[in-house]
Amino acid sequence: MEAGKNRSLFNGKPIKVLLAKPGIDGHDRGILVLAKAFRDAGMEVIYVGLLPTPEEVVDTAVNEDVDVIALSLLNGAHMTVFRKVADLLKNRKINDIAVVGGGTIPDTDKPKLEAIGISGNYGPGTPISTIVDHITQRAAEMRKLKAMEE
Amino acid sequence: MDELIRGILKGDRRSVSRAISIVENEQVSYNAKKIVKEIFQYTGRAHIVGITGPPGIGKSTMIGNLSAMLSEKGRNVSVVAIDASSPFSGGSLLGNRIRMQESLTRHGVFMRSLANRGLKGGLSRSIWDTVKILDASGSDIIIVETVGAGQADLDVVNLADTVIMVLGPGLGDEIQAIKAGIMEIGTLFVINKMDLPGAFIAQKDIEETLAMSLKKDWNPPVVGVNSLTREGYEELIKEIDRHGEYAKGNSDLTFRKFRTELEITIDEELRSRFHQEIRSFLADSEKIKALMEKKTDPYSAAENLINNIA
Repeated sequence: MEAGKNRSLFNGKPIKVLLAKPGIDGHDRGILVLAKAFRDAGMEVIYVGLLPTPEEVVDTAVNEDVDVIALSLLNGAHMTVFRKVADLLKNRKINDIAVVGGGTIPDTDKPKLEAIGISGNYGPGTPISTIVDHITQRAAEMRKLKAMEE
Repeated sequence: MDELIRGILKGDRRSVSRAISIVENEQVSYNAKKIVKEIFQYTGRAHIVGITGPPGIGKSTMIGNLSAMLSEKGRNVSVVAIDASSPFSGGSLLGNRIRMQESLTRHGVFMRSLANRGLKGGLSRSIWDTVKILDASGSDIIIVETVGAGQADLDVVNLADTVIMVLGPGLGDEIQAIKAGIMEIGTLFVINKMDLPGAFIAQKDIEETLAMSLKKDWNPPVVGVNSLTREGYEELIKEIDRHGEYAKGNSDLTFRKFRTELEITIDEELRSRFHQEIRSFLADSEKIKALMEKKTDPYSAAENLINNIA
């Protein structure tokens, strides 16, 4: 978007995204690039830094009332750690926060993650616009759920 | 809705955080106003501490330390930190949490990040309602971090009971310290990074400046701290509590805060009443073109529009 040309500026309800790398993984270039891209797409972005536990991620998501948790891992632990985040949300009966994944995720794992509600699962080389569109779409679904609760 | 309000009063985290989203996203809506109206009678108990100062001076780190130490003393601490929104995209990177995450997790402190969404002055419009929700949810102390402040970002003085001005070495000499604006609003001055050269001189500069305008009832103390070792923090907490006691008995302060909030609220209410009409007027390009052709000046056009609505 061209600088200063966003007409919806400050009028709307910006999408709130939590970016996190739960687990032992220090490769944060990708997630920092995404943080800036989401900001430029008009979202409010919270980044919890390196090495948060899945419990911390879920606690933060609740306190900040985000629409989407976006997880990134490049260390191969996604099946364990992403699942833990999804389970914690389920245990706390939270169904209005979406979980989206990314990183180095083998194609064979993607359907398994989808099955527990973790969508996206984009790998290196994915155009940023694809990811932004996906987050926007998931956030819209969550906003609908939230509106129904109110 | 009633369940949400009961949740807030019980201190339930999900209710509190959802309610904050409502006052943030749907200002002056029926729901947002209902929340504040219902909880208002339960507010006024918490000590509201504003923390302001230039960007990168260590406000977030300081809040991490303070919230940990206050929690250890058995206080119920809540934190709200405000960061800037982009003037281009409207988006925001809310990065305060990263400096305090460890203390927050260890002590289970509720912390919420807000974007200023274009409001100048160092706060966000929803902060007044947000603080009320946290107050009603049982917080003893609510720490509000402003956007990294320049010389004229002063709004926190109308929100907080106690305003902590965080400074450090290398920010300028005693002339900077006697300028009007932000140096006048501190009820407590903290010199952070006391381990760095020049910090001691900065502390003396501020102390001397403050000594030039001694007041009868409250003279802002200057506390030097080192956030890496938590040196000076016990004294800082003692001063925060001392000012909290002082502010509680100060009817001028309470009155000024209430009047400012009333002013802002009346403003918002007026704007929202006229919002629809103004929008539809601005969307009508024919009408606007007609005004342009007639060479109507903007003041007369605006006066006409408002007279027609009211």
